[in-house]
Amino acid sequence: MSDHDATPDPIDTAYAQAEGVLHDEAARAARRARVLAAAAREPAAPVDATPRRRPALGRYGGWLAAASVAGVSVLVATQVYSPARAPPRVAPPPAAPVSQPMVSPQPAAETAPTAARESPRATPIAPRATAQPRDRAAADVAQAQPAPSAPALLPTSPPQQPVAAPAPPPPALSAPTARAFAPAAAPPPPARASESTIQELVVVTGEKRAAVKAAAGSPADLAAKLRDAAAAGRTSDVKALLAKGAPVDAPDDDGETALMKGVKGDHPKAVALLRRYGASLETRNHAGQSARDMAVPLGDPDLDRALGLTARP
Amino acid sequence: MEPDAAEDADLLRAHGAGDPHAFGRLYDRYDRACFQFIRRLLGAAQADAAEDLHQETWIAVSRNAAGFDPAKASFAGWLFTIARRKVWDHFRRQKVAVLASAVHDEAAMSVADPDLSPLDAVQSRELAQEIVAAVEALPLEQRGAFVLFAHAGLSLAEIAEASGVTVETAKSRLRYARAKLRQALAGERPAHV
Repeated sequence: MSDHDATPDPIDTAYAQAEGVLHDEAARAARRARVLAAAAREPAAPVDATPRRRPALGRYGGWLAAASVAGVSVLVATQVYSPARAPPRVAPPPAAPVSQPMVSPQPAAETAPTAARESPRATPIAPRATAQPRDRAAADVAQAQPAPSAPALLPTSPPQQPVAAPAPPPPALSAPTARAFAPAAAPPPPARASESTIQELVVVTGEKRAAVKAAAGSPADLAAKLRDAAAAGRTSDVKALLAKGAPVDAPDDDGETALMKGVKGDHPKAVALLRRYGASLETRNHAGQSARDMAVPLGDPDLDRALGLTARP
Repeated sequence: MEPDAAEDADLLRAHGAGDPHAFGRLYDRYDRACFQFIRRLLGAAQADAAEDLHQETWIAVSRNAAGFDPAKASFAGWLFTIARRKVWDHFRRQKVAVLASAVHDEAAMSVADPDLSPLDAVQSRELAQEIVAAVEALPLEQRGAFVLFAHAGLSLAEIAEASGVTVETAKSRLRYARAKLRQALAGERPAHV
Protein backbone atom coordinates (compact mmCIF):
# COMPACT_ATOMS: atom_id res chain seq x y z
CA MET A 1 0.00 0.00 0.00
CA SER A 2 2.66 2.42 -0.88
CA ASP A 3 0.53 5.21 -2.18
CA HIS A 4 -2.43 5.21 0.11
CA ASP A 5 -3.13 8.87 0.34
CA ALA A 6 -6.42 8.40 2.09
CA THR A 7 -6.08 8.10 5.81
CA PRO A 8 -7.41 4.91 7.39
CA ASP A 9 -11.06 5.21 8.10
CA PRO A 10 -12.98 3.45 10.88
CA ILE A 11 -15.46 2.31 8.26
CA ASP A 12 -12.67 0.47 6.44
CA THR A 13 -11.62 -1.21 9.65
CA ALA A 14 -15.16 -2.11 10.52
CA TYR A 15 -15.70 -3.70 7.15
CA ALA A 16 -12.44 -5.64 7.32
CA GLN A 17 -13.43 -6.91 10.76
CA ALA A 18 -16.86 -7.84 9.48
CA GLU A 19 -15.31 -9.90 6.71
CA GLY A 20 -13.11 -11.52 9.30
CA VAL A 21 -16.09 -12.45 11.45
CA LEU A 22 -17.95 -13.90 8.47
CA HIS A 23 -14.94 -15.72 7.13
CA ASP A 24 -15.31 -19.45 6.71
CA GLU A 25 -11.94 -21.18 6.76
CA ALA A 26 -13.35 -24.58 5.82
CA ALA A 27 -15.04 -23.16 2.76
CA ARG A 28 -11.83 -21.42 1.85
CA ALA A 29 -9.86 -24.65 2.05
CA ALA A 30 -12.39 -26.45 -0.11
CA ARG A 31 -12.32 -23.60 -2.59
CA ARG A 32 -8.54 -23.68 -2.70
CA ALA A 33 -8.49 -27.39 -3.50
CA ARG A 34 -11.08 -26.93 -6.21
CA VAL A 35 -9.39 -23.96 -7.86
CA LEU A 36 -5.92 -25.45 -7.83
CA ALA A 37 -7.22 -28.71 -9.25
CA ALA A 38 -9.05 -26.85 -11.99
CA ALA A 39 -5.99 -24.76 -12.78
CA ALA A 40 -3.87 -27.90 -12.96
CA ARG A 41 -6.32 -29.45 -15.41
CA GLU A 42 -6.06 -26.46 -17.67
CA PRO A 43 -3.26 -26.38 -20.25
CA ALA A 44 -0.15 -25.07 -18.58
CA ALA A 45 0.72 -21.48 -19.27
CA PRO A 46 3.33 -21.22 -22.00
CA VAL A 47 6.87 -21.01 -20.71
CA ASP A 48 7.99 -17.55 -21.53
CA ALA A 49 10.64 -15.93 -19.43
CA THR A 50 10.41 -12.71 -21.40
CA PRO A 51 6.78 -12.02 -22.06
CA ARG A 52 7.52 -8.54 -23.34
CA ARG A 53 9.11 -10.01 -26.44
CA ARG A 54 5.74 -11.03 -27.72
CA PRO A 55 4.70 -7.61 -28.95
CA ALA A 56 8.17 -7.15 -30.41
CA LEU A 57 7.72 -10.32 -32.43
CA GLY A 58 4.39 -9.01 -33.51
CA ARG A 59 6.01 -5.82 -34.68
CA TYR A 60 8.64 -7.72 -36.64
CA GLY A 61 5.92 -9.85 -38.13
CA GLY A 62 4.17 -6.70 -39.21
CA TRP A 63 7.32 -5.36 -40.79
CA LEU A 64 7.93 -8.64 -42.56
CA ALA A 65 4.41 -8.62 -43.91
CA ALA A 66 4.80 -5.01 -45.05
CA ALA A 67 8.14 -5.82 -46.70
CA SER A 68 6.58 -8.80 -48.45
CA VAL A 69 3.74 -6.68 -49.77
CA ALA A 70 6.18 -4.04 -50.92
CA GLY A 71 8.30 -6.69 -52.64
CA VAL A 72 5.32 -8.15 -54.45
CA SER A 73 4.23 -4.68 -55.48
CA VAL A 74 7.65 -3.91 -56.93
CA LEU A 75 7.67 -7.23 -58.72
CA VAL A 76 4.24 -6.61 -60.17
CA ALA A 77 5.19 -3.12 -61.23
CA THR A 78 8.39 -4.23 -62.91
CA GLN A 79 6.72 -7.16 -64.63
CA VAL A 80 3.78 -5.18 -65.93
CA TYR A 81 5.33 -1.86 -66.79
CA SER A 82 8.86 -2.77 -67.75
CA PRO A 83 9.53 -2.01 -71.45
CA ALA A 84 12.35 -4.56 -71.48
CA ARG A 85 9.91 -7.41 -71.63
CA ALA A 86 10.13 -8.05 -75.34
CA PRO A 87 13.84 -8.81 -75.81
CA PRO A 88 13.85 -12.17 -74.02
CA ARG A 89 11.17 -13.38 -76.42
CA VAL A 90 12.95 -12.04 -79.41
CA ALA A 91 16.33 -13.27 -78.38
CA PRO A 92 16.02 -17.00 -79.06
CA PRO A 93 15.43 -16.83 -82.83
CA PRO A 94 19.10 -16.13 -83.57
CA ALA A 95 19.67 -19.66 -82.36
CA ALA A 96 18.92 -20.63 -85.87
CA PRO A 97 22.09 -19.21 -87.34
CA VAL A 98 24.03 -21.02 -84.68
CA SER A 99 22.42 -24.39 -84.97
CA GLN A 100 21.04 -24.26 -88.49
CA PRO A 101 23.28 -22.52 -90.99
CA MET A 102 20.72 -22.89 -93.76
CA VAL A 103 18.47 -20.20 -92.23
CA SER A 104 21.24 -17.72 -91.83
CA PRO A 105 20.20 -15.54 -94.81
CA GLN A 106 16.81 -14.96 -93.25
CA PRO A 107 17.21 -14.18 -89.58
CA ALA A 108 16.49 -10.49 -89.78
CA ALA A 109 13.55 -10.94 -92.06
CA GLU A 110 12.05 -13.68 -89.95
CA THR A 111 12.66 -12.31 -86.51
CA ALA A 112 11.38 -8.89 -87.27
CA PRO A 113 7.78 -9.92 -87.81
CA THR A 114 8.07 -12.43 -85.02
CA ALA A 115 9.17 -9.76 -82.60
CA ALA A 116 6.44 -7.50 -83.82
CA ARG A 117 3.91 -10.22 -83.38
CA GLU A 118 5.00 -10.85 -79.82
CA SER A 119 4.88 -7.28 -78.74
CA PRO A 120 1.47 -6.67 -77.21
CA ARG A 121 1.86 -2.92 -77.62
CA ALA A 122 2.60 -3.10 -81.30
CA THR A 123 -0.12 -5.66 -81.96
CA PRO A 124 -2.60 -5.72 -79.14
CA ILE A 125 -4.80 -8.37 -80.71
CA ALA A 126 -2.12 -10.46 -82.30
CA PRO A 127 -0.99 -12.63 -79.39
CA ARG A 128 -4.01 -14.93 -79.43
CA ALA A 129 -3.89 -15.29 -83.18
CA THR A 130 -0.21 -16.09 -83.29
CA ALA A 131 -0.03 -18.25 -80.25
CA GLN A 132 -1.30 -21.34 -81.92
CA PRO A 133 1.09 -21.61 -84.81
CA ARG A 134 3.99 -20.77 -82.62
CA ASP A 135 2.92 -23.24 -79.95
CA ARG A 136 2.46 -25.92 -82.57
CA ALA A 137 5.90 -25.28 -83.87
CA ALA A 138 7.23 -25.53 -80.38
CA ALA A 139 5.41 -28.79 -79.86
CA ASP A 140 6.70 -30.15 -83.11
CA VAL A 141 10.30 -29.64 -82.21
CA ALA A 142 10.21 -29.70 -78.50
CA GLN A 143 11.96 -33.04 -78.38
CA ALA A 144 14.01 -32.48 -81.46
CA GLN A 145 16.59 -30.10 -80.14
CA PRO A 146 17.58 -28.72 -76.80
CA ALA A 147 16.99 -25.03 -76.28
CA PRO A 148 20.10 -22.98 -76.71
CA SER A 149 21.09 -20.61 -73.98
CA ALA A 150 19.23 -17.39 -74.54
CA PRO A 151 21.61 -15.10 -72.67
CA ALA A 152 24.46 -16.27 -74.83
CA LEU A 153 22.51 -15.29 -77.91
CA LEU A 154 21.31 -11.94 -76.75
CA PRO A 155 24.40 -9.93 -77.59
CA THR A 156 24.49 -11.33 -81.08
CA SER A 157 20.84 -10.77 -81.72
CA PRO A 158 20.55 -8.43 -84.67
CA PRO A 159 16.78 -8.15 -85.00
CA GLN A 160 16.29 -5.98 -81.94
CA GLN A 161 15.76 -2.89 -84.00
CA PRO A 162 12.67 -3.96 -85.95
CA VAL A 163 10.64 -4.51 -82.79
CA ALA A 164 8.85 -1.24 -83.31
CA ALA A 165 7.91 -2.06 -86.87
CA PRO A 166 4.22 -2.37 -87.67
CA ALA A 167 2.99 -5.87 -87.32
CA PRO A 168 2.47 -7.64 -90.60
CA PRO A 169 0.20 -10.62 -90.80
CA PRO A 170 1.89 -13.74 -89.56
CA PRO A 171 3.80 -15.25 -92.49
CA ALA A 172 3.60 -18.87 -93.24
CA LEU A 173 6.87 -20.22 -92.02
CA SER A 174 8.68 -22.92 -93.78
CA ALA A 175 9.35 -26.04 -91.80
CA PRO A 176 13.03 -25.34 -91.32
CA THR A 177 12.25 -21.83 -90.20
CA ALA A 178 9.67 -23.07 -87.79
CA ARG A 179 12.16 -25.55 -86.51
CA ALA A 180 14.69 -22.81 -86.09
CA PHE A 181 12.24 -20.72 -84.11
CA ALA A 182 10.91 -23.56 -82.07
CA PRO A 183 13.30 -23.39 -79.13
CA ALA A 184 12.67 -19.71 -78.83
CA ALA A 185 8.92 -20.11 -79.03
CA ALA A 186 8.64 -22.61 -76.22
CA PRO A 187 8.89 -20.25 -73.21
CA PRO A 188 6.29 -17.60 -74.14
CA PRO A 189 3.09 -19.44 -73.14
CA PRO A 190 3.97 -19.45 -69.43
CA ALA A 191 5.10 -15.86 -69.77
CA ARG A 192 1.76 -14.94 -71.22
CA ALA A 193 -0.07 -16.83 -68.50
CA SER A 194 1.86 -15.07 -65.76
CA GLU A 195 1.25 -11.79 -67.52
CA SER A 196 -2.49 -12.28 -67.34
CA THR A 197 -2.18 -13.35 -63.72
CA ILE A 198 -0.22 -10.25 -62.96
CA GLN A 199 -2.78 -8.12 -64.72
CA GLU A 200 -5.49 -9.76 -62.66
CA LEU A 201 -3.47 -9.13 -59.53
CA VAL A 202 -3.11 -5.51 -60.42
CA VAL A 203 -6.81 -5.19 -61.01
CA VAL A 204 -7.68 -6.99 -57.79
CA THR A 205 -5.19 -4.95 -55.81
CA GLY A 206 -6.60 -1.77 -57.27
CA GLU A 207 -10.12 -2.82 -56.41
CA LYS A 208 -9.12 -3.67 -52.88
CA ARG A 209 -7.36 -0.37 -52.47
CA ALA A 210 -10.43 1.44 -53.69
CA ALA A 211 -12.63 -0.56 -51.32
CA VAL A 212 -10.39 0.18 -48.36
CA LYS A 213 -10.28 3.82 -49.30
CA ALA A 214 -14.03 3.93 -49.55
CA ALA A 215 -14.49 2.09 -46.26
CA ALA A 216 -12.09 4.44 -44.47
CA GLY A 217 -14.45 7.27 -45.04
CA SER A 218 -17.70 5.39 -44.79
CA PRO A 219 -20.13 6.32 -42.04
CA ALA A 220 -19.80 2.86 -40.51
CA ASP A 221 -16.05 3.19 -40.33
CA LEU A 222 -16.25 6.66 -38.88
CA ALA A 223 -18.75 5.43 -36.31
CA ALA A 224 -16.47 2.56 -35.32
CA LYS A 225 -13.56 4.95 -34.95
CA LEU A 226 -15.73 7.27 -32.92
CA ARG A 227 -16.68 4.47 -30.55
CA ASP A 228 -13.05 3.45 -30.16
CA ALA A 229 -11.98 7.03 -29.50
CA ALA A 230 -14.76 7.51 -26.97
CA ALA A 231 -13.89 4.26 -25.20
CA ALA A 232 -10.29 5.35 -24.91
CA GLY A 233 -11.16 8.91 -23.94
CA ARG A 234 -9.31 10.41 -26.92
CA THR A 235 -11.19 13.67 -26.89
CA SER A 236 -9.38 15.23 -29.83
CA ASP A 237 -10.14 12.20 -31.99
CA VAL A 238 -13.75 12.26 -30.89
CA LYS A 239 -13.95 15.91 -31.85
CA ALA A 240 -12.31 15.37 -35.23
CA LEU A 241 -14.54 12.42 -36.06
CA LEU A 242 -17.68 14.28 -35.07
CA ALA A 243 -16.57 17.18 -37.23
CA LYS A 244 -16.12 14.73 -40.12
CA GLY A 245 -19.74 13.73 -39.72
CA ALA A 246 -19.37 10.44 -37.88
CA PRO A 247 -22.85 9.23 -36.89
CA VAL A 248 -22.98 9.94 -33.19
CA ASP A 249 -25.47 7.27 -32.12
CA ALA A 250 -24.39 4.42 -34.39
CA PRO A 251 -24.30 1.23 -32.30
CA ASP A 252 -21.81 -1.64 -32.47
CA ASP A 253 -22.69 -5.34 -32.49
CA ASP A 254 -23.69 -5.16 -28.83
CA GLY A 255 -25.88 -2.17 -29.48
CA GLU A 256 -23.48 0.14 -27.69
CA THR A 257 -23.01 3.69 -28.87
CA ALA A 258 -20.01 5.96 -28.57
CA LEU A 259 -21.65 7.66 -25.61
CA MET A 260 -22.01 4.33 -23.82
CA LYS A 261 -18.37 3.56 -24.50
CA GLY A 262 -17.35 6.92 -23.12
CA VAL A 263 -19.47 6.40 -20.03
CA LYS A 264 -18.15 2.91 -19.41
CA GLY A 265 -14.61 4.20 -19.71
CA ASP A 266 -15.51 7.06 -17.38
CA HIS A 267 -14.32 9.79 -19.73
CA PRO A 268 -16.33 12.90 -18.83
CA LYS A 269 -14.72 15.13 -21.48
CA ALA A 270 -15.44 12.76 -24.34
CA VAL A 271 -18.94 12.23 -22.99
CA ALA A 272 -19.59 15.97 -22.77
CA LEU A 273 -18.42 16.36 -26.35
CA LEU A 274 -20.68 13.60 -27.59
CA ARG A 275 -23.62 15.08 -25.72
CA ARG A 276 -22.98 18.44 -27.38
CA TYR A 277 -23.27 16.67 -30.72
CA GLY A 278 -26.60 15.23 -29.69
CA ALA A 279 -25.67 11.76 -28.48
CA SER A 280 -28.71 10.09 -26.98
CA LEU A 281 -28.89 9.24 -23.32
CA GLU A 282 -31.84 6.97 -23.84
CA THR A 283 -30.64 4.65 -26.61
CA ARG A 284 -30.33 1.17 -25.17
CA ASN A 285 -27.88 -1.62 -25.92
CA HIS A 286 -28.86 -5.25 -26.44
CA ALA A 287 -28.74 -5.78 -22.67
CA GLY A 288 -31.34 -3.05 -22.29
CA GLN A 289 -29.03 -0.49 -20.72
CA SER A 290 -28.79 3.12 -21.70
CA ALA A 291 -25.82 5.42 -21.21
CA ARG A 292 -27.72 6.94 -18.30
CA ASP A 293 -28.06 3.50 -16.68
CA MET A 294 -24.37 2.82 -17.16
CA ALA A 295 -23.39 6.06 -15.49
CA VAL A 296 -25.30 5.45 -12.30
CA PRO A 297 -23.15 2.70 -10.79
CA LEU A 298 -19.97 4.58 -11.64
CA GLY A 299 -20.88 7.31 -9.21
CA ASP A 300 -18.58 9.83 -10.83
CA PRO A 301 -19.92 13.36 -10.35
CA ASP A 302 -17.90 14.70 -13.28
CA LEU A 303 -19.41 12.09 -15.55
CA ASP A 304 -22.89 12.84 -14.27
CA ARG A 305 -22.35 16.53 -14.98
CA ALA A 306 -21.06 15.73 -18.47
CA LEU A 307 -24.20 13.75 -19.11
CA GLY A 308 -26.37 16.51 -17.71
CA LEU A 309 -27.68 14.28 -14.93
CA THR A 310 -26.84 16.75 -12.19
CA ALA A 311 -26.80 20.48 -12.12
CA ARG A 312 -23.43 22.16 -12.09
CA PRO A 313 -22.78 23.55 -8.60
CA MET B 1 -0.85 -4.27 -1.68
CA GLU B 2 1.01 -6.03 1.08
CA PRO B 3 2.50 -8.96 -0.87
CA ASP B 4 5.63 -7.99 -2.69
CA ALA B 5 4.90 -7.16 -6.32
CA ALA B 6 8.23 -8.45 -7.58
CA GLU B 7 7.62 -11.76 -5.82
CA ASP B 8 4.20 -11.97 -7.40
CA ALA B 9 5.73 -11.60 -10.85
CA ASP B 10 8.42 -14.14 -9.99
CA LEU B 11 5.83 -16.63 -8.81
CA LEU B 12 3.79 -16.16 -11.95
CA ARG B 13 6.85 -16.61 -14.11
CA ALA B 14 7.82 -19.72 -12.14
CA HIS B 15 4.32 -21.07 -12.70
CA GLY B 16 4.69 -20.44 -16.41
CA ALA B 17 8.00 -22.26 -16.31
CA GLY B 18 6.35 -25.31 -14.76
CA ASP B 19 6.97 -24.86 -11.03
CA PRO B 20 4.10 -26.86 -9.51
CA HIS B 21 4.05 -24.92 -6.23
CA ALA B 22 4.32 -21.38 -7.50
CA PHE B 23 0.68 -21.03 -8.47
CA GLY B 24 -0.51 -22.27 -5.09
CA ARG B 25 1.68 -19.75 -3.29
CA LEU B 26 0.41 -16.96 -5.47
CA TYR B 27 -3.16 -18.09 -4.93
CA ASP B 28 -2.72 -18.11 -1.17
CA ARG B 29 -1.61 -14.51 -1.24
CA TYR B 30 -4.75 -13.20 -2.86
CA ASP B 31 -7.52 -15.75 -2.67
CA ARG B 32 -9.41 -14.23 0.24
CA ALA B 33 -9.30 -10.72 -1.12
CA CYS B 34 -10.18 -11.89 -4.61
CA PHE B 35 -13.08 -14.03 -3.47
CA GLN B 36 -14.54 -11.34 -1.23
CA PHE B 37 -14.18 -8.77 -3.99
CA ILE B 38 -16.14 -10.98 -6.38
CA ARG B 39 -18.64 -11.92 -3.70
CA ARG B 40 -19.34 -8.32 -2.72
CA LEU B 41 -19.61 -7.13 -6.31
CA LEU B 42 -22.12 -9.86 -7.00
CA GLY B 43 -24.19 -8.97 -3.97
CA ALA B 44 -26.55 -11.27 -2.12
CA ALA B 45 -28.79 -11.94 -5.13
CA GLN B 46 -25.99 -13.36 -7.26
CA ALA B 47 -23.87 -14.83 -4.47
CA ASP B 48 -24.14 -18.36 -5.83
CA ALA B 49 -21.98 -17.41 -8.79
CA ALA B 50 -19.07 -16.27 -6.62
CA GLU B 51 -17.37 -19.66 -6.42
CA ASP B 52 -17.50 -20.18 -10.17
CA LEU B 53 -16.32 -16.69 -11.04
CA HIS B 54 -13.52 -16.95 -8.52
CA GLN B 55 -12.39 -20.19 -10.11
CA GLU B 56 -12.68 -18.74 -13.61
CA THR B 57 -10.58 -15.79 -12.53
CA TRP B 58 -7.75 -17.96 -11.31
CA ILE B 59 -7.89 -20.20 -14.32
CA ALA B 60 -7.59 -17.10 -16.48
CA VAL B 61 -4.57 -16.07 -14.42
CA SER B 62 -2.98 -19.46 -14.93
CA ARG B 63 -3.74 -19.57 -18.62
CA ASN B 64 -2.50 -16.07 -19.32
CA ALA B 65 0.53 -16.12 -17.06
CA ALA B 66 2.86 -15.59 -20.00
CA GLY B 67 1.00 -12.51 -21.06
CA PHE B 68 1.47 -10.71 -17.76
CA ASP B 69 3.95 -7.87 -17.97
CA PRO B 70 5.08 -6.60 -14.56
CA ALA B 71 6.39 -3.45 -16.22
CA LYS B 72 2.88 -2.46 -17.22
CA ALA B 73 0.84 -3.42 -14.19
CA SER B 74 1.07 -4.91 -10.74
CA PHE B 75 -0.15 -8.44 -10.33
CA ALA B 76 -2.85 -7.24 -7.93
CA GLY B 77 -4.11 -4.74 -10.48
CA TRP B 78 -4.11 -7.40 -13.18
CA LEU B 79 -5.83 -9.98 -11.00
CA PHE B 80 -8.63 -7.67 -9.88
CA THR B 81 -9.09 -6.42 -13.42
CA ILE B 82 -9.74 -10.00 -14.49
CA ALA B 83 -12.04 -10.56 -11.51
CA ARG B 84 -14.01 -7.40 -12.20
CA ARG B 85 -14.45 -8.35 -15.85
CA LYS B 86 -15.64 -11.80 -14.86
CA VAL B 87 -18.31 -10.21 -12.69
CA TRP B 88 -19.38 -7.79 -15.41
CA ASP B 89 -19.53 -10.61 -17.93
CA HIS B 90 -21.68 -12.55 -15.50
CA PHE B 91 -24.03 -9.61 -15.11
CA ARG B 92 -24.20 -9.28 -18.87
CA ARG B 93 -24.96 -12.96 -19.33
CA GLN B 94 -27.60 -12.84 -16.64
CA LYS B 95 -28.90 -9.54 -17.99
CA VAL B 96 -28.59 -8.06 -14.55
CA ALA B 97 -28.93 -4.30 -14.49
CA VAL B 98 -26.00 -3.16 -12.41
CA LEU B 99 -27.93 -0.41 -10.78
CA ALA B 100 -27.61 -0.70 -7.06
CA SER B 101 -28.97 2.71 -6.22
CA ALA B 102 -29.85 6.05 -7.63
CA VAL B 103 -27.34 8.66 -8.58
CA HIS B 104 -25.13 9.59 -5.65
CA ASP B 105 -26.59 12.20 -3.42
CA GLU B 106 -24.58 15.01 -2.05
CA ALA B 107 -26.31 14.58 1.30
CA ALA B 108 -24.27 11.49 1.89
CA MET B 109 -21.15 13.57 1.96
CA SER B 110 -22.41 15.68 4.80
CA VAL B 111 -22.67 12.79 7.20
CA ALA B 112 -20.62 13.16 10.11
CA ASP B 113 -17.34 12.86 11.60
CA PRO B 114 -15.79 9.45 11.11
CA ASP B 115 -14.48 9.56 14.66
CA LEU B 116 -18.01 9.29 15.91
CA SER B 117 -18.54 6.01 14.11
CA PRO B 118 -19.84 3.34 16.45
CA LEU B 119 -18.17 0.65 14.45
CA ASP B 120 -14.97 0.47 16.39
CA ALA B 121 -15.16 -3.17 17.14
CA VAL B 122 -17.17 -5.52 15.05
CA GLN B 123 -17.46 -8.76 16.86
CA SER B 124 -20.97 -10.09 16.45
CA ARG B 125 -21.99 -11.94 13.35
CA GLU B 126 -25.20 -9.95 13.19
CA LEU B 127 -23.44 -6.63 13.05
CA ALA B 128 -20.92 -7.99 10.57
CA GLN B 129 -23.75 -9.04 8.31
CA GLU B 130 -25.32 -5.60 8.56
CA ILE B 131 -22.06 -3.95 7.58
CA VAL B 132 -21.58 -6.31 4.67
CA ALA B 133 -25.19 -5.72 3.59
CA ALA B 134 -24.54 -1.98 3.65
CA VAL B 135 -21.46 -2.48 1.52
CA GLU B 136 -23.40 -4.59 -0.95
CA ALA B 137 -26.01 -1.84 -1.22
CA LEU B 138 -23.42 0.62 -2.53
CA PRO B 139 -23.37 1.44 -6.23
CA LEU B 140 -21.28 -1.17 -7.98
CA GLU B 141 -18.19 0.85 -8.81
CA GLN B 142 -18.10 2.50 -5.40
CA ARG B 143 -18.48 -0.91 -3.83
CA GLY B 144 -15.60 -2.27 -5.85
CA ALA B 145 -13.33 0.62 -4.92
CA PHE B 146 -14.22 0.33 -1.25
CA VAL B 147 -13.70 -3.45 -1.04
CA LEU B 148 -10.41 -3.26 -2.89
CA PHE B 149 -9.18 -0.55 -0.55
CA ALA B 150 -10.58 -1.67 2.77
CA HIS B 151 -10.27 -5.42 2.46
CA ALA B 152 -7.91 -6.27 -0.38
CA GLY B 153 -5.54 -3.51 0.68
CA LEU B 154 -4.94 -2.16 -2.79
CA SER B 155 -3.58 1.33 -3.21
CA LEU B 156 -5.59 3.97 -5.01
CA ALA B 157 -3.31 3.57 -8.01
CA GLU B 158 -3.94 -0.15 -8.09
CA ILE B 159 -7.67 0.36 -7.69
CA ALA B 160 -7.60 2.81 -10.57
CA GLU B 161 -5.66 0.29 -12.65
CA ALA B 162 -8.02 -2.56 -11.83
CA SER B 163 -11.08 -0.42 -12.53
CA GLY B 164 -9.78 1.23 -15.68
CA VAL B 165 -10.22 4.74 -14.31
CA THR B 166 -8.02 7.55 -13.10
CA VAL B 167 -6.69 7.71 -9.57
CA GLU B 168 -8.86 10.75 -8.94
CA THR B 169 -11.94 8.83 -9.96
CA ALA B 170 -10.97 5.91 -7.74
CA LYS B 171 -10.44 8.31 -4.87
CA SER B 172 -13.78 9.93 -5.50
CA ARG B 173 -15.55 6.57 -5.53
CA LEU B 174 -13.91 5.59 -2.27
CA ARG B 175 -14.93 8.86 -0.66
CA TYR B 176 -18.54 8.50 -1.72
CA ALA B 177 -18.61 4.87 -0.64
CA ARG B 178 -17.41 5.72 2.84
CA ALA B 179 -19.87 8.56 3.17
CA LYS B 180 -22.77 6.35 2.18
CA LEU B 181 -21.68 3.59 4.50
CA ARG B 182 -21.43 6.04 7.34
CA GLN B 183 -24.90 7.24 6.57
CA ALA B 184 -26.30 3.72 6.28
CA LEU B 185 -24.69 2.55 9.49
CA ALA B 186 -25.31 5.68 11.50
CA GLY B 187 -28.00 3.96 13.53
CA GLU B 188 -25.77 1.15 14.67
CA ARG B 189 -24.78 1.09 18.29
CA PRO B 190 -22.02 -0.69 20.13
CA ALA B 191 -24.80 -2.26 22.15
CA HIS B 192 -25.23 -4.65 19.24
CA VAL B 193 -21.78 -5.92 19.80
